Order: sequence, then C-alpha cells, then structure tokens
Amino acid sequence: MAKIDLSNVSHSYNPNDPNPVFALNPFSMTWENGNRYAILGPSGCGKTTMLNIVSGLVRPSAGRILFDDKDVTDLKTEDRNIAQVFQFPVIYNTMTVYENLAFPLKCRDFSKSKIDERVNSVAETLNLKSFLNSPARKLTADQKQLISLGRGLVREDVAAVLMDEPLTVIDPDLKFRLRRNLKEINEQYKTTLVYVTHDQNEAMTFADNIIVMSEGEVVQTGSPKELFERPNTTFVGYFIGSPAMNLFESEASSNDSVKINNTLIKTHTNLSNLKTKKIKLGIRSEFIKIAQNQNENLVDVNVEKVEDLGNYKLITAKLGDFTIKSKVTRETEIPSSKVKLHIPADRCCVYEDNKLI
Amino acid sequence: MNKLYIFLKYFFIVVWTVFVVAPFLWALTTSFKDFQSVNGGVTYIPWVDFEPNLEGWKVLIKSPAKGGVDIIEPYFNSMFVTCTASLISIILGTLSAYALSRYTFKAGFVKNNDITFFFISQRIMPPIVLSIPFFLFLSSINLLDSLTGLIVVYIVLLMPIAVWIMVDFFNKVPREIDETALIDGCNPYQAFLKVVLPNSIPGLIVAGMFCIIFGWIDFFFAFILTFTEVQLLPVKIVALNSSVTPWWSLSASALVSVAPLIIVAFIVERYLSKGNLSGAIK
Repeated sequence: MAKIDLSNVSHSYNPNDPNPVFALNPFSMTWENGNRYAILGPSGCGKTTMLNIVSGLVRPSAGRILFDDKDVTDLKTEDRNIAQVFQFPVIYNTMTVYENLAFPLKCRDFSKSKIDERVNSVAETLNLKSFLNSPARKLTADQKQLISLGRGLVREDVAAVLMDEPLTVIDPDLKFRLRRNLKEINEQYKTTLVYVTHDQNEAMTFADNIIVMSEGEVVQTGSPKELFERPNTTFVGYFIGSPAMNLFESEASSNDSVKINNTLIKTHTNLSNLKTKKIKLGIRSEFIKIAQNQNENLVDVNVEKVEDLGNYKLITAKLGDFTIKSKVTRETEIPSSKVKLHIPADRCCVYEDNKLI
Repeated sequence: MNKLYIFLKYFFIVVWTVFVVAPFLWALTTSFKDFQSVNGGVTYIPWVDFEPNLEGWKVLIKSPAKGGVDIIEPYFNSMFVTCTASLISIILGTLSAYALSRYTFKAGFVKNNDITFFFISQRIMPPIVLSIPFFLFLSSINLLDSLTGLIVVYIVLLMPIAVWIMVDFFNKVPREIDETALIDGCNPYQAFLKVVLPNSIPGLIVAGMFCIIFGWIDFFFAFILTFTEVQLLPVKIVALNSSVTPWWSLSASALVSVAPLIIVAFIVERYLSKGNLSGAIK
C-alpha cells in the first residue's frame, strides 16, 4: 500500500538514437493510496510500458518513480513489493495451485501459518478452493488467470496491484463477478489497483479514476463523469462513450456561439480569445434531445435511421453535411423524417486544435 | 480417392518400416550364425536355414586372453564419457542459452543472434577440420588417450547442440514467466532456478537426448584421440573387423551398442506423448 508518484517519466526503446521514438512522452502523475485507476487507450499507446515502468520491469529513459515519497527508480522489481497480472495467464506449470498462490509469500519468507491463511482467503475469494491441490497446468484458461490474479492479491502489503487487461481471457459472466470482487478487495484492503484496458466500459465500471492515453501521451485523467461530460481533447470525446461524441467542424461566429450549417449554436464557452476562428464543437449524443419547447439552439435535421438498441433509441440524422447522433429513450416517438433537435448550450464543448477551451 | 489414400498411406508405412527394421533383423539373425551359415550362401530363417548359436554373443564378454573381444570396458568408457560430457554440456549450454534468450549482448556488430550462430556454426564445419587442432591441444595438456581428454572434446562438440535447442526453447518460454517471478519476489537467479528451469524440463530432455545420441555414436574423435589406454565402444566395434570378419560378434556388439539409444528413445517418446511439451502460457 503506497502512494505512487511518477514524475516527468518518459520512455523510449531506442534512447541512444539521435531521433528517439518515445513509447511514452514525459508526464507526471500521482496515484493515491487505496484508489482504483484504469489506464485506457487503444492498443500500442504505451499503457503496458507505463505499468512495466511502475513495476520496474522497464527502467524509464528519464524521470523518477516514488513510492510513498521514496525514490524507487533504481530499485529492482523484486525489491519493490508490487504485484502485476498479465493479459494471459502466467502460472508456474510445475506447481500445484496452492504452491502457485503461496509463491510470492514464500519468496518473501512469510511464516507457514501466515501463508496458509492468506492462500486460503484468496482462494476463497476467487473460487479456487476446490482446486488447491491439483496441478496448476491441469486447469482451464480462465481458472489459470484466476491463479495469476490470486498471486497478485495474496500479499496484503503490496504497493499496488497492476493489472494488464487481466480479464481478456475470462468469460463475460465471470468477468462481471470478478470486477466486483476486485472492487471489494480494494475496499476491504485499501489496495491501490491499476487496471489497464482498452475497453471503456470495463474502465468506467471498475475505476474511480481513468487515465486516457493515446500515442504515448497521457491525454486526460479524471473520473468517469468528467471524461464523459468534459473530454479534454477530441480524441477522448471520440474514444469514450458509445456512440462517440458528435463533433462538428465549424467557425466561431461571436463571443459565445458557433455556426453549424447556418444555425447559430450558443455555448457557455468564451470564444473571444481564439487564435483562428476554426473550432470543433463537441456534444454527446446523450444530451441531444428532440426539441420540446426550447427556443434556441435548435437544429433541423433529416432522420436517416432509428435503431432500437433495447434500452434506448439511437437516431442517426443528417445536419447539412454533418452526421448527428442522438440517444433518446425508448418511448420517444420520432414523428417524421424532419425533426428539430435541441443542443443544450451547457453541454457543448468547444475544441481548438483538438483541445478543449 | 479415400481408398487410394489409405492404400498409399499404408504402402509407404510398410516400405519405411522395412527400410528401418531390415538392418536390425539382418544384424539380429547374423548375430546367431556361425562361420558356415554366414559364408555358405544366403540364409534367413533360424532352425530352417541355419542352426542358431550364441557364439557371437559369448565372445563379447570373454576376456581377450580366452579368445574373446571383451566390449564391457569400452562400453562403460563410452557411457561415462557420453554421460559426463552431455551433463556438462547441458548445464553450460542451458546457462548460456538462457542468457542469450533473455539478455541483450552487444560487442561491436556482434549481437545475440550472431553469438547463437557462432555456437551452431561449430557444427556446420566438417569435424575433420578440428582433428589436428584437437590432437595438438590434447597432447599439449597431456590428455591424449584419456577419458578426461575425450570428455573435453565431446563438450566442445555437444554444447552447441544444447545451446541451439535451449535458445529456441527459452525463446518460446514467455518472458512473462520470468517477469512474474521477479514481481513475486525472486531475484533473477531464483527466477531461473525455481521457475524457468522447472518449466523447461521438456527442452532439457530433448537437448539431453540429442547430446547423448551424438556423443554415443561418435567414432571419429574417439578413433583419432585414443590409442591403447582407453577405447570407446564404436572404435572397439570397428576394430573387430579384421582379416576374417567375425560377422556374428560384430552384429551382436552393434545391437548391444544401439540398445541404450533405443531405451532413451522409448523413455523420451513416453514423456513427449504425455503432452508435457506444451508451454506454460495459455
């Protein structure tokens, strides 16, 4: 259990090259003790590199890592007391399930009774009790992944448990239960959990803080709500949420309004200090509704299709050359192909150079 | 179509079996023949074509003083040299293979793959190229005609095989295994000994098998590096071939010399077919 500080950390796999390619651009970040973090981003954006830097498998090209304000940048993995679970189950084939779970404690010379107590408690949580004495290699893939997870959780005093897409191989039903278990473990033991994933739903349901990454860059850190309502960049808006945020390329036409397809849309953003007039207007489809009796921020659209997605309806419509998507409740009647939609001003995000103003 | 396939399949299996088994049958029948039945024309079936006797086998354990050939001492010499050299090669080879698989080495333009290739290249060269250097080397350290000298030479010959097989094997053992062990609190040595090595037993067995085979069957170096003091089995068997070749004892000793390899093959086959070769991941 520790507070983890990453200060000005960056990493390149070819640091001696005159033009090093950075897998991870310089960033600083603090992971508070006992919180749940999710690192979210598309494949190859540096998520795993970040985890490996924290666990010490990779030494960063620059920057320091601090556990509870103690510099551990030069400390070896085995001395950092950290747990890491990989995407695919890693088990010690030649050992039984019990020996697998006990291994991290054994390596650190815990007493036999302590090992026994911890292994049993973890096995209980993960439903592995009945397999404790069978050889680990005889188990199925998801049971093996449970062992990997169990080895991560068996030490109570770890600085953090780092998980690199640990539930990929686990079937959906169990996945859901495990995520809840992990949350419970976090609440019970106040273990810092860091969870890497490319699945936004997983990140949103699991973590109270999400770190969004793209191409080696930390784009935004925040709660699920913040990421959803105020994406820092158009990338976050696009990446988070299903469907992606509606983005319209347009121009600022006054201090607080933009023009889309000849309609003036009011926003709550001050647009007087723009360098260029070119901006992007972003709005979540969840906030766009069919106009009732509002009298501004209304747009006329041609409905192209309406998809009934069970708990909501998704309207895809044309607004001039733009496509606009709106999520409405199931009960909403869509009167005809010509509809007036309301874009709430307080929900509008304006981006200049793809960054939120 | 299907019938033709089955016919061809079994046809080739039969042809191949004959090809493989016939020499053994030939050696087996010959080992029970006497001078008359070998030289008197073609004979195949015992008790019908010829009267079997155990003379060919008996000479093998008789001392030379009593007119025998005594292969027991060369047999144990061969075993000792092969096993010792294989064991040392496997230990050294495994350690270097692990290093080559997990760590990055660089000396000028020489990198990991070049080092691995250097090991393998020792086996590309015809062994005869090494005969004079080995002879001079062993004579300079007074190990000519000794078991120790042979062991040294065999290590040089067998270690590349061990390195080659084990590098390939370790490359297939996922790095995450080592990394997990480090995270679980092992130092790199413990990670190797407690986690990676137990997971590599199938590779060790295969490498060991190859070392034993190549060590056991070597005739060339055993022939040029020994004279009177020690003799290995292949040299002894070839030496049986005198002016009047005793085909019966030659066959018997050939069979005896193949026997350990057959046993090794059976054990390994048993082990491999149990599916123990599958990796640690997934």
